[in-house]
Amino acid sequence: MITVRHLNKYYIGEDGKKVDVLRDVSCEISRGEIISIIGPSGSGKSTFLHILNMLDTPNSGEIIVNGKNIQDKGYDLNKMREKMGMVFQNFNLFEHLTVLQNVTLAPIKLRGLGEKQAEDEAMEMLRKVGMADRSGSMPSQLSGGQKQRVAIARCLAMKPDVILFDEPTSALDPTMIGEVQGVIRSLAMEKMTMLIVTHEMKFARDVSTRVFFMNEGVIYEDGTPEQIFQNPKRAATRAFVHRIRSLVFDIVSRDFDFYDMTTQIKQFCIRYSIPEKMNDITHIVEEMLILLSKYDSPVLIEVNHSEMDYTSSVSILHRGESVSPLERPDADELSVMIIRGMSSDIKTEQTDEGVRLTFRI
Amino acid sequence: MRTTINELNGELVAAFEGRLDTAAAIQTEKDVQPLADCAGKNIVLDCSALEYISSSGLRIFLNVLKNAKAKGSRVFITGMSDDINKVFKITGFMNLFEFR
Ligand SMILES: Nc1ncnc2c1ncn2[C@@H]1O[C@H](COP(=O)(O)OP(=O)(O)OP(=O)(O)O)[C@@H](O)[C@H]1O
Ligand SMILES: [Mg+2]
Repeated sequence: MITVRHLNKYYIGEDGKKVDVLRDVSCEISRGEIISIIGPSGSGKSTFLHILNMLDTPNSGEIIVNGKNIQDKGYDLNKMREKMGMVFQNFNLFEHLTVLQNVTLAPIKLRGLGEKQAEDEAMEMLRKVGMADRSGSMPSQLSGGQKQRVAIARCLAMKPDVILFDEPTSALDPTMIGEVQGVIRSLAMEKMTMLIVTHEMKFARDVSTRVFFMNEGVIYEDGTPEQIFQNPKRAATRAFVHRIRSLVFDIVSRDFDFYDMTTQIKQFCIRYSIPEKMNDITHIVEEMLILLSKYDSPVLIEVNHSEMDYTSSVSILHRGESVSPLERPDADELSVMIIRGMSSDIKTEQTDEGVRLTFRI
Repeated sequence: MRTTINELNGELVAAFEGRLDTAAAIQTEKDVQPLADCAGKNIVLDCSALEYISSSGLRIFLNVLKNAKAKGSRVFITGMSDDINKVFKITGFMNLFEFR
């Protein structure tokens, strides 16, 4: 359905040097494939999608869509864009139009539908994404998750052959990620061809039939979700998917914002799909801070989660101290019991910087 | 964190909603003050909407219990969520309170 051959894209930097963004990218995408594109920031993921959609032009290389080279003179780019929908991080809805008008606009203008038929079809798409009851609302009255679902409905109204998603949930409040992922999952069930740039590893693993790991401008590894996430063949892929997600609090003053910290822990757990660990993590951090509040030494807290094997830990460094706060004779008993009860394993080590406790969650 | 106290069938019912952590403890301590006047009435601590409790929260519950016992009242806990259940188990609070 889409063939990409030897795609190159570069920019000339301010210093006159060439900066490669895509380097000799080739791939073949068939109907019905759901491809997640993962990779570090700056690896060219967005650029790749933009070029596929001709929102950006390559310096060299070919893109063949349904047998036709889209860079040929006389190729109808608008026709191609109708068949290739794009959903952006920031929704890009028309703010002065209602939800329904947002969805009917392109079908009326580009597909030549009559108003009545466009509205009927639009309502059907809005029902699909669970937004039919908000068809009269203005975008400003919607939450981020709702806006993104409308953006997807608008895309669907063009009856695309393929939809490109560029980090569709990255701009959303964590509580709204699920509803948008749910819509994409239901499209996957209908075998809609999709390319999805995402940082949500669990989602990528669940939803896709194939994963591209992009690194430094190339598709560095291309495989099934099982291969990429469980058994990556190449070192850089392994390093990326094993990547430990961390949340760090460097507490130097007693007046740090405790409320903000618990909110951040909550968001972290939701973002990485471990809401069930949120309370245990918070208990350990909170009770440790109660124990440590007797001392003036600064505290470094790290919450770590491996998206690879779903293990999580909390590590707490009490700077400049050598005795574990759990071992001190005057340690508050209730706090110590809660801490010990919440962790399956506690490791204590002396480091140059102080005593560090690591709690497995 | 919200605490509401009502009298129901001759009992004082304190309902907790939200996260009873260190940050919320000071206010909650004030909010449960009316329970001190419990002579002749039993107390029910309704935890069905309590999502989280830290040692600071446990201490508030403990004070309520001590005071109630001194006045001859009983304290019951209802509607424990998973987190509250876990914290009560690991701290031995399960053995201190009566449950409904
Ligand atoms: N207009 C531009 N001029 C110069 N450099 C650019 C331009 N657009 C993109 N780049 C560079 O191209 C590289 C790839 O960018 P791209 O947005 O495709 O990365 P990405 O993989 O989508 O990253 P992210 O995960 O952060 O969204 C980056 O190093 C970026 O700085
Ligand atoms: Mg990008």
